[in-house]
Amino acid sequence: MLAEHKLKVFRELITQSSREELIWMNGFLAGLVAAEAGGDAATTGTAEMPTAARIDKFTILFGTETGNSKKVATEFATQAKKAGFKAKLVGLDQYRLSDLEKEEYAFFVISTQGDGEPPLTAKKFYDHIHKEALKLDKLKYSILALGDTSYPLFCKAGEDVDAQLGKLGAKAVIPVQKCDTDYAADAAAWFAQVMKFLNEGGHTGGTTQAAVKKAKGKKHYKGTILGNVNLNDRGSSKQTHHIEIEAEDDVAYEPGDSLGLIPHNKQETVDNILSLTGADGDTEIEFRNEKLSLREALTRKINIIYLPERVVKQYAATVQQDIPDTRIDLLDLLRIYPVKDAAQFEQVVSVLEPMAPRLYSISSSPEAHGSEIHLTVARDIFHINNELKHGLCSDHLCLLEPGTAIDFHIHKNNQFRLPANDKDVIMIGPGTGIAPFRSFLAERDALGAEGRNWLFFGDQKFTTDFLYQTEIQNWSQTGVLTKVNLAFSRDQASKIYVQHRMLENADELWQWINDGAHIYICGARNPMSNDVENTLLQIIERQGGKTITEAIAYLDAMKDENRYLLDVY
Amino acid sequence: MSDSNNKLSATEHIKMKSDGLRGTLKQSLKDELTGALREDDQALIKFHGMYQQDDRDRREERSAKKLEWLYSYMVRLRLPGGFITGEQWEALHHIAGRHSTGVVKITTRQTIQLHGILKSHVKPTLQEFNTAGLDSISACGDVNRNVICGAHPKFSPIHEEIFAYADKLSQLGLPRTKAYYEIWLDEKPLTQEVKEQQEKDPLYQDRYLPRKFKIAIAIPPNNDVDVFANDLGLIAIVENNTLKGFNLVVGGGLGATHGNPNTYPRLGDTLGFLDTEEKVLKAVYEVITIQRDYGNRSDRKLSRIKYTIEKMGVENFKKELEKRCGFALLPEKPYKFNSRSDLFGWHKNHEGKWYYTAFVEAGRVLDDEKLAFKTAFLEVAQTRKANFRFTCNQNLILADIEEKDKKEIDAILRKYDIIAHTDKASVVRKDSIACVAFNTCPLALAEAQRYLPTLITKMEPLLSKYGLEDDNISVRMTGCPNGCGRPYVAEIGFVGTSYGHYNLHLGGDRIGSRLNKVYKESVNEDAILKELDQLLGIYSKERKKNETFGDFAQRLKWVEY
Ligand code: SRM
Ligand SMILES: Cc1cc2nc3c(=O)[nH]c(=O)nc-3n(C[C@H](O)[C@H](O)[C@H](O)COP(=O)(O)OP(=O)(O)OC[C@H]3O[C@@H](n4cnc5c(N)ncnc54)[C@H](O)[C@@H]3O)c2cc1C
Ligand SMILES: Cc1cc2nc3c(=O)[nH]c(=O)nc-3n(C[C@H](O)[C@H](O)[C@H](O)COP(=O)(O)O)c2cc1C
Ligand code: SF4
Repeated sequence: MLAEHKLKVFRELITQSSREELIWMNGFLAGLVAAEAGGDAATTGTAEMPTAARIDKFTILFGTETGNSKKVATEFATQAKKAGFKAKLVGLDQYRLSDLEKEEYAFFVISTQGDGEPPLTAKKFYDHIHKEALKLDKLKYSILALGDTSYPLFCKAGEDVDAQLGKLGAKAVIPVQKCDTDYAADAAAWFAQVMKFLNEGGHTGGTTQAAVKKAKGKKHYKGTILGNVNLNDRGSSKQTHHIEIEAEDDVAYEPGDSLGLIPHNKQETVDNILSLTGADGDTEIEFRNEKLSLREALTRKINIIYLPERVVKQYAATVQQDIPDTRIDLLDLLRIYPVKDAAQFEQVVSVLEPMAPRLYSISSSPEAHGSEIHLTVARDIFHINNELKHGLCSDHLCLLEPGTAIDFHIHKNNQFRLPANDKDVIMIGPGTGIAPFRSFLAERDALGAEGRNWLFFGDQKFTTDFLYQTEIQNWSQTGVLTKVNLAFSRDQASKIYVQHRMLENADELWQWINDGAHIYICGARNPMSNDVENTLLQIIERQGGKTITEAIAYLDAMKDENRYLLDVY
Repeated sequence: MSDSNNKLSATEHIKMKSDGLRGTLKQSLKDELTGALREDDQALIKFHGMYQQDDRDRREERSAKKLEWLYSYMVRLRLPGGFITGEQWEALHHIAGRHSTGVVKITTRQTIQLHGILKSHVKPTLQEFNTAGLDSISACGDVNRNVICGAHPKFSPIHEEIFAYADKLSQLGLPRTKAYYEIWLDEKPLTQEVKEQQEKDPLYQDRYLPRKFKIAIAIPPNNDVDVFANDLGLIAIVENNTLKGFNLVVGGGLGATHGNPNTYPRLGDTLGFLDTEEKVLKAVYEVITIQRDYGNRSDRKLSRIKYTIEKMGVENFKKELEKRCGFALLPEKPYKFNSRSDLFGWHKNHEGKWYYTAFVEAGRVLDDEKLAFKTAFLEVAQTRKANFRFTCNQNLILADIEEKDKKEIDAILRKYDIIAHTDKASVVRKDSIACVAFNTCPLALAEAQRYLPTLITKMEPLLSKYGLEDDNISVRMTGCPNGCGRPYVAEIGFVGTSYGHYNLHLGGDRIGSRLNKVYKESVNEDAILKELDQLLGIYSKERKKNETFGDFAQRLKWVEY
């Protein structure tokens, strides 16, 4: 139907475009069409249509953890600029909060992390709009929420921000668009609507929203456990397992990515639940629009341990008993506050939440380890009123025998990537934080990358807890590691941590940073990553001869240039 | 002057370029990545009284965990004559607890060793020893080692006088370098020129000796020190309670290597008699210089003085010695050895001071489920009413106890069953010696101190079966042919060949003046017990009156002489 010359252009465009770009165009056009349709629907009947001048000044804000939102937002900003708009692109962590009340048109791309929480970088903003009594009547906005349907609270952070901005008087000009992990198409569609809205000078006639398509993009892999060894020696208070997985077909991952999997609940726990409730494990049920047997659902789909308060509340409502606000395992709930009968239990099931995937930083490198994927898993051991308990997934993994089959997916982290081969890298990864750095070092070794590498590692005791000691020794002998500093907290009276070693090497660290080194932090979010960041600021301040504000600005600049990256949990 | 024109062994180069045994030890200690030292430094710490070791039981498991071997250090104290005060024992007790496996190991050369000290704990250990007035200088390495001396003061009223020689000879054999104080005790490094004058070492120069050098002083009639197994031995000659001087014995050494016929155990030759202290010191000094100048520096397996003297011939050696001394040796004096055993239990010396010799199996002082040795000895030490002496049979003597204090010490020993334990042990067990071997000794081929006690438990029924319970046959075991437990001068010697297998040696005498010979090669426990069952059976029937098992074995030609 296209005229020859159009067709030609169209064909060229298609042949020159990558798969990603095609998906994007597809979504973009779909969005446009949808918006047009809405537009027509609105215009019919209404004689005069305000044809205001297009709005060409607006802000794109993003809140990201692993870089997807940033990627999307940047793409849009570039598009918009090409189209002649004055689009201001700002990360929510950089955004001057006092500007918000002056803002007229703002479009947000924000992901959800943790258990429905905003990403670290959006935390300040998120708290600000929830705490401050702001008046945002001026503000017209729309939100693109990135998320993952396999988490119980899908795109919660995006929804929260949307709701809260509404409360503060701002107007959502396009309804919040939620996207699953293959967000490209939905995102493009949303952006198309944003463009149309702006082109039409803020005319919001009934724009429609493309419904969330459940991700099919997330590829699931099968693999077998090759080896599983506890890296900690006898006498250690820790168990950190090095797990090697042979994947069936070659897995597309890069150093910095994580492996994700849904743990299985313990058979006996499931059995206890069934016998306690008298429910029949074989009854077919529907859970989150998936049909399967009750037993299967309880084993593989539903989170039955340490239920969040929100779920406990709903349980209380369902069984009509009053239960204090607390987190508790389902089995304990059923014991203390029994259900009437099997039927009521099925009601309970409907309010339960899907089991969230667990992520483990991949500690192998495609270049060095081929089709093998390695993990470095700390067996999570804790006490609940002095009963010894184990984390569900880490325990499951650490006990896997070689030969066992395992299903998993790859969780990309587009943020946490090695720089060009000639760049210097500073890696700070105590405990399991070493995992991605083992991948980095193996990769850089295999590639013969010329950039220098400096590792800070720490744990409790030198003799029992020096994870990957022999490999690290080899890398430092062969020069792959230019420098290694170790902090073993329990080998002397006073605790020594990585940040202390950083301070001891402040001058040299500053030189590296000043010469353009990239800094990576991985491991425990609290307190490690905070202490390390404060120490970095201290070093930039002192060694760099800056005021603390300048230091903060300096580190922010590094974030912008992707030279300061965290993968913390 | 070194005879061998072939090239020097690697160790020789390490010593010469070590800047007075400093090497790169300071850097090695700083290296956070490993519990080990740089290779050259591993050779140098021996001169400071330490060995780098690793837990051989844990190698495979550690490697699977991507951890390096479990490196640690063994520290051996320099204790001339094997004497420390109660105060020092108390310090030692706590140092062992803080920094090592906690086991205090009494060695066959009358000193103590601590094992399992991590690199980061080495300096604190040596510094705490220093505060207690103890050091480990020259306890190992190619220098004069611990000078040992007959342990039991009861053997001679002039024990004190003889004992004093141990210290004098130890002083005479100390290297001049101050490296020990710089590296371990953080003393300020000397400037180059000060170093050059102060550390100039006429005895050791910059090459030290070709190999370890060992001196023993025996006080007849007891030869607990195995004087003939030493590079240099002095046999005290005492006539009506006055010290006349010493017979000089040179050229003993036991180490050998399986399958290397050029290596063998050898007993020292008596060169003559020395009648003054001045002469003794001079002669000892010059024996060392001869070994320094003529010892083999290219093949460490052939570098002990026993090979030097074989090469030169005893007579030439003696000539060279007299030339260097500037005086002639007098003819050797008669003396008599009748035993090497320790005098267990309570004994009083000529001044009325009391001595209690406790049996410490394989010299391992620790608290275990059976016995609380460490606690007991700590309590004794805390009374400050006893000194501590170690014997070459790896036992311990609570020494110099006043009459009035004996009760108190005795009560402590009873409280912890030390006395019962010592009395109950069979004479064979009490006289037995086992070297360290696994799990710390890198050279071990078979178990020794962890195994001999069990083997003896299985031998005891045989002994009583033939009514030999009171016959103190000397039984010694080592985990390899190096001979640390002096198995070649035992009546029954076990020398490890591979895990669970030992060469069975017979024919040595009871006083250490005759080497034994291999009777059966590489036999396991069953074979050992079968053999002993037969041999002891024959011995019990056919022995002459007072004939020892060793002499009997020789007479019946169980081994060829
Ligand atoms: C602790 C002790 C055995 C014991 O259970 O008491 C011992 C233990 C070791 N001896 Fe020994 N020797 C010990 C007395 C002896 C004796 C007996 C003696 O001197 O009365 C001998 C035989 C006499 C001799 O020197 O010929 C002896 C001959 C050796 C040899 C063989 C030397 C040779 O000339 O071939 C070695 C191996 C070497 O030096 O290369 C050796 C080496 C070793 C080492 C250091 C292994 C090594 O070189 O890495 C052993 C340390 C094991 C450990 O973990 O503690 N040890 N060693 C004795 C410490 C004595 C001391 O306090 O200084
Ligand atoms: C990006 C990313 C990378 C990661 N990389 C790694 C890695 O490389 N290595 C690694 O070991 N981990 C890594 N983690 C952490 C890992 O994903 C899991 O969070 C961790 O293994 C714990 O999960 P679990 O199922 O074993 O423990 P869970 O069962 O989920 O329990 C986790 C915590 O919840 C609490 N809890 C659970 N049950 C109860 C109860 N009944 N009562 C009270 N409290 C309870 C406890 O505090 C427990 O520690 C990473 C996480 C992220 C987000
Ligand atoms: C630890 C972790 C927790 C997550 N929790 C949620 C969640 O609760 N709800 C959700 O919709 N998505 C969740 N996600 C999925 C992310 O929002 C999704 O991967 C998104 O693409 C990340 O975008 P970003 O790179 O901009 O942070 C989680 C991801 C991670 C790594
Ligand atoms: S004899 Fe051999 S095994 Fe025993 S301690 Fe000496 S070197 Fe080690």
